[in-house]
Amino acid sequence: MPPVSGLTRRQAALGLIGAALAGNLVACSEPEEEILPYVRAPEGLIPGVAQRYATALPLNGYGRGVLCTAFEGRPVKVEGNPRHPASLGATDLFAEAELMQLYDPDRSRSPRRQGRIASWEGFLAEILPRLDTLRARQGEGLRLLTGPLTSPTLLRLIAAARESLPRLQWHAHLPLDEANARRGAALAFGQGLDLLPALDRAAVILCLDADPLGPGPDQIRLSRDFAQRRQARAGGTRFNRLYALEPAMSLTGANADHHLAVPPAAFHAIIPWLAAELGAPLPRPELPEAEARLLRAAAADLRANQGAALLLAGEALAPELHALVHWINARLAAPLRAVAPVRPGAAPLADLLAAMRGGEVDTLLILGSNPAYDAPADLDVAAALRRVPCTVHHGLHADETAAACTWHLPAPHALEDWGDLRARDGTASIVQPLIRPLYGSRSPATLLGLLLGQPDLSAHAAVRASWRGGRTEAEFEGWWRQALQDGVVPDSAAPAVPLGEPRLPPLPASPPPAGLTLLLRPDPAVWDGSFANNAWLQECPQPLTRQVWGNAARLAPADAARHGVAAGDVVRLDLDGRSLEATAMPDAGVAAGVVALSLGQGRQRAGAIGDGVGADAYRLRHSAAPWVRPGLRLSPTGRRAPPLLAQQEQRLEGEARALLPLVPLAAVQQAGPAAPAAAERPSFLPPQAPGPTAWAMAIDTTLCIGCNACILACQAENNIPVVGPEEVARGRDMHWLRIDTYVQEAGGAMRPGFQPVPCMQCEAAPCEPVCPVAASVHDSEGLNLQVYNRCIGTRFCQSNCPYKVRRFNYFGYADGQEYANQGAPVVAAQRNPEVSVRARGVMEKCTYCVQRISAARRAAEKEDRGLAPGEVVTACQAACPTGAIQFGNLREAESGPARLRREPHHYALLGELGTRPRTTYLKRVRNPNPALEPDGA
Amino acid sequence: MSAAATEPGPPSASHAGVIGLVADPVLGRPASRRWWIAFLLAGLVTLGFLGCITWVLVAGIGLYGNNTTVVWGFPIANYVWWIGIGNAGTLISALLLLTRQPWRAAINRFAEAMTLFAASIAGLFPILHLGRPYRAYWLAPYPNSMELWPQWRSALVWDFAAIASYLIFSFLFWYLGLIPDLATLRDRARSRGARLAYGVLAFGWRGSARHWQRHDAVYRAMAALAVPLVVSVHSVVGLDFAASLMPGWQESIFPPYFVVGALFSGFAMVVTLAVILRWGLGLQALITDRHFDAMGKVILAAAWVMSLSYLTEWFMAWYGGDPAERGVLRFQFTGPYAPLYAAMLACNLLAPQLLWWRRLRTNLPVLLGVAVLVNVGMWLERILIIWNTLSHGYLPSMRRLFQPTLWDWLTLATSFGLFALLFLCFVRLLPAVAMHDVNKQRHEQGGAA
Repeated sequence: MPPVSGLTRRQAALGLIGAALAGNLVACSEPEEEILPYVRAPEGLIPGVAQRYATALPLNGYGRGVLCTAFEGRPVKVEGNPRHPASLGATDLFAEAELMQLYDPDRSRSPRRQGRIASWEGFLAEILPRLDTLRARQGEGLRLLTGPLTSPTLLRLIAAARESLPRLQWHAHLPLDEANARRGAALAFGQGLDLLPALDRAAVILCLDADPLGPGPDQIRLSRDFAQRRQARAGGTRFNRLYALEPAMSLTGANADHHLAVPPAAFHAIIPWLAAELGAPLPRPELPEAEARLLRAAAADLRANQGAALLLAGEALAPELHALVHWINARLAAPLRAVAPVRPGAAPLADLLAAMRGGEVDTLLILGSNPAYDAPADLDVAAALRRVPCTVHHGLHADETAAACTWHLPAPHALEDWGDLRARDGTASIVQPLIRPLYGSRSPATLLGLLLGQPDLSAHAAVRASWRGGRTEAEFEGWWRQALQDGVVPDSAAPAVPLGEPRLPPLPASPPPAGLTLLLRPDPAVWDGSFANNAWLQECPQPLTRQVWGNAARLAPADAARHGVAAGDVVRLDLDGRSLEATAMPDAGVAAGVVALSLGQGRQRAGAIGDGVGADAYRLRHSAAPWVRPGLRLSPTGRRAPPLLAQQEQRLEGEARALLPLVPLAAVQQAGPAAPAAAERPSFLPPQAPGPTAWAMAIDTTLCIGCNACILACQAENNIPVVGPEEVARGRDMHWLRIDTYVQEAGGAMRPGFQPVPCMQCEAAPCEPVCPVAASVHDSEGLNLQVYNRCIGTRFCQSNCPYKVRRFNYFGYADGQEYANQGAPVVAAQRNPEVSVRARGVMEKCTYCVQRISAARRAAEKEDRGLAPGEVVTACQAACPTGAIQFGNLREAESGPARLRREPHHYALLGELGTRPRTTYLKRVRNPNPALEPDGA
Repeated sequence: MSAAATEPGPPSASHAGVIGLVADPVLGRPASRRWWIAFLLAGLVTLGFLGCITWVLVAGIGLYGNNTTVVWGFPIANYVWWIGIGNAGTLISALLLLTRQPWRAAINRFAEAMTLFAASIAGLFPILHLGRPYRAYWLAPYPNSMELWPQWRSALVWDFAAIASYLIFSFLFWYLGLIPDLATLRDRARSRGARLAYGVLAFGWRGSARHWQRHDAVYRAMAALAVPLVVSVHSVVGLDFAASLMPGWQESIFPPYFVVGALFSGFAMVVTLAVILRWGLGLQALITDRHFDAMGKVILAAAWVMSLSYLTEWFMAWYGGDPAERGVLRFQFTGPYAPLYAAMLACNLLAPQLLWWRRLRTNLPVLLGVAVLVNVGMWLERILIIWNTLSHGYLPSMRRLFQPTLWDWLTLATSFGLFALLFLCFVRLLPAVAMHDVNKQRHEQGGAA
């Protein structure tokens, strides 16, 4: 149970901390250097009026351009930057969650020497003489370890440092890297290249353990492109076909028209088979009938769509297989663009560790990396760190690596610091801070300045120097302002590299089968573990499993039965002499013989939120085979720790399938226009006066890929609190918007579908007549509003809601009884001042972002005009990378929802109840290959 | 007790004997050891109840097991159950008075007291159920500066009105019947304080013919008013569920079905209390086998009406063809709550079948056992009405089960302490049997014979 307000010592302690922090919070303001708002520059800051700035946020080193909303120098919401090619105006869940990273109460606040609080002056006093000695030795013994870097400025500084200290060695550690893909490109084309697929030009896509729609730095662009080619509209024909073969179902597999779970080793036969089928002079291996049938049809489909057919290989595949896929893609003239690697390579971590063990390292500088946690276990980084005389860790948190280092230095968050980032395609953005650093952090550029003998180098100056080029002062000033305002550096995308004829690589030997195969994946909630202390992400139901607060070992139900393991049993996983305990989750989407586990959980020193959540899969990771490793043994422990699931039942059968119908594309194309709305049921309630505005939302479930960006956008926009794992276990979640995930039989296989469910804003809302105090009321524009001040908490509304979209504050989740550290004052800085923070005992719900509607109306009234079409965009709609969520005024015939309501596959969820929901859906359309499903076409 | 239990016929005590039998425990004898022990125990449990309430108010209703899907839980079931208990007393008094059932006189007083106490306790639970209990008064229509009235379409507002009227009415009815007996106590009291207290409470009753004539007229008129009120209060409770959109709730049978259920549990509680009271106060001469026999028959009949209601519910859910209704029906019989549902059916339908035999109706341990089982079964029925429907709503994605917490059980269990405490005070301070009614009835029967 959360503590009681005002009663515990913890509260008193928090009060003291709050008082101590007050100085910091008051100091929430813009950075000293001039930063520029997006598009329109105001004369001065208008209190209470939000300002939006363009900047960029990193994921795996790559930047995604965002527009960040700030109130009086306090960032409260991240949205996509339409001008940025990796955002296109949308976000992913990690971009949305960066605010929680910024305001994480467990962030490191001061330098530490061997765990004790120290000062920057102390650090400099120790390091500067050391650096002088090292400089005399040309940097011999000095090593630099960074995380994934694309920042032109940091790369420039590192290059400069290596120039002045020729023996300085730079290593990069990427827990989720692209080494296999790069090596594959090198095998095929003779040089390491990044191949960027253009999904909008692909009519047929075959994913071989690739997850373009899954989480990653390019998820937004790829899914936007995918969605552009997946528009099921009456008369429209732009609809691709997606095949996926993968060992464990990913978001791509979940959205595929044909999906087959195959063990990782099978790709050693599948890809040569495909190559042979498509004309490669290779022997054609034997394949099981199910695979051969699917691949025959897919190959025919690919061949028939020459120029618009594309194969994608996943990072876990061997480089030779990547190369073979390149060869096939070249045959198909696949829509791909090759660029020189945007993120340059550095010496690998393994070399550094060898040097550390050999005593060759005197001083190690670790910037933005946490190898003590996220390096493969066989490297044993923590032990090696202790053999280095002076280790310096610079990071957002005092994490596992910080604990093993001599010095820990707090790093600023990307929203606090100047910098620059490149997107996957090379497009650069200037990162401008929206807020002064909350704590005593210093920029990585400043640290690199130490190596250059410029201890006063500021990040701002360094970034400006990077981009100055040959421009004059005046030219540069204009250029700089423009780049800051746009959030994109013009013409900075990497040029396309012309691809030669790819070579046929030698075929690798298939690994001998031995026991179960461990399959490691990035965690859909916490990525590589760097987001583990992010309460929003931990509580965000993971795609497909809808698990929260943890990870689980997913395995095929038959394997689970063979090992005598039931869902929720704790199992012991043994591999390479190391073992790990994890919760088992039988999952029909996992291939036989595979145990899939996500990396990034089970942190020891993440903070109050992330410590001890889930199992740390890095402990089973091996540097030689980072993604797939056979020889796993699984044994039940006899204990149980059932995973926390936001949704218990996923299966739809019989009449329940009408909740999320799966229909073949042909049915939509052949259908006429939608049946008129006359099918509405009679109601006792008086009809509503038809006003000029009728807000509505239409959600195309075909386009919903289940990425969760909308859930976090809603959470950030509407001050939705986190409740913590104990409360989730009691069945009390607070998300206003959820993504119902249903699995149903279609075309001979079980297929998942995603259905985002916000409030339906029913015209005949069942929640309204039952409220005894009129807290649930309807407005003239069709919004079903909740008056928080009036609510007394009878919960009659939720008990009578057929969609169960209302959420109740059983405790003061945002009101004195917060989970763990969520009551810290700094968390409150994230709150959107336009939205009330709800008290204990009050019902809350989705309002179609009524604050945004109101803000747009106020703006329109000031300018004495009506609301323009599309002027109001809800948070979930803005975040959606595929444009599945459309919001607008039903009275305007061309608004998004009005258009979608005319589609033949439009339907209202539980429409038979006569609630007349304003939120309606389009059925989930599949495009099965007629050769595989003759009856489905 | 067994000797008294086999004693047939109407009360055999004399006029003065009845008064002595009833009034002496109040005025004469000092409280027995048994009473003091019971009083202390009940007091302790009541303190526990107050503790539960306080902690819920301080910590929030998250202490209970309710979740996002099953937003209603123990407080609502407890409320419906207690108000059901509170239904029988007034009904026994009023309906049996109007239908001239002479055996009512021996039990109506404590049955009415039971009503009053049960309804008061019932009234606490909806407040404990609220997220913001300190705003409970917003349910009442009162003039306020916000010019906001309750939202009249809500069944909860009807419910608030129904409970409030029922409580006020039950109190008036009970008090009106008490006046002649208060005067008797005043007249027999030996201490000045008691004379004064009972005298004030007796409103100057002198027992004149005019007093009796007016008292009878008002009493009968109120009895006539009471019957529809008894029906209305539980009908409205039924509407809390029926006036909704949820499968398993939106059934037109709910109001009558709730009324019958209330009588059923109410009678069972009256039997339980009658057995205890008879033993505790030595009223074997007044509360006889005949009463138990009659009440046993009522319970048996009610059990059959309940069976009919359940059958109707099941049949209509199937016959109506609505997949959601059928889904809830299937969930009732096969879901995780199915064992509880089976237990409920056993308690409510099977156990009362023992009462077909007169020998068992007058066998107090058997009758008491059946009565307790019926009360357990009726509580299960109320909680299952909530759990089954809310756990198995329209969208499979939001189906969740209810896990009761310690605080759920404690609040329910300790509420009996308050009930017992009130009852113990009642038997020490007021006549537990309507003396004047019993004597009047004796007189009439004597005259007729």
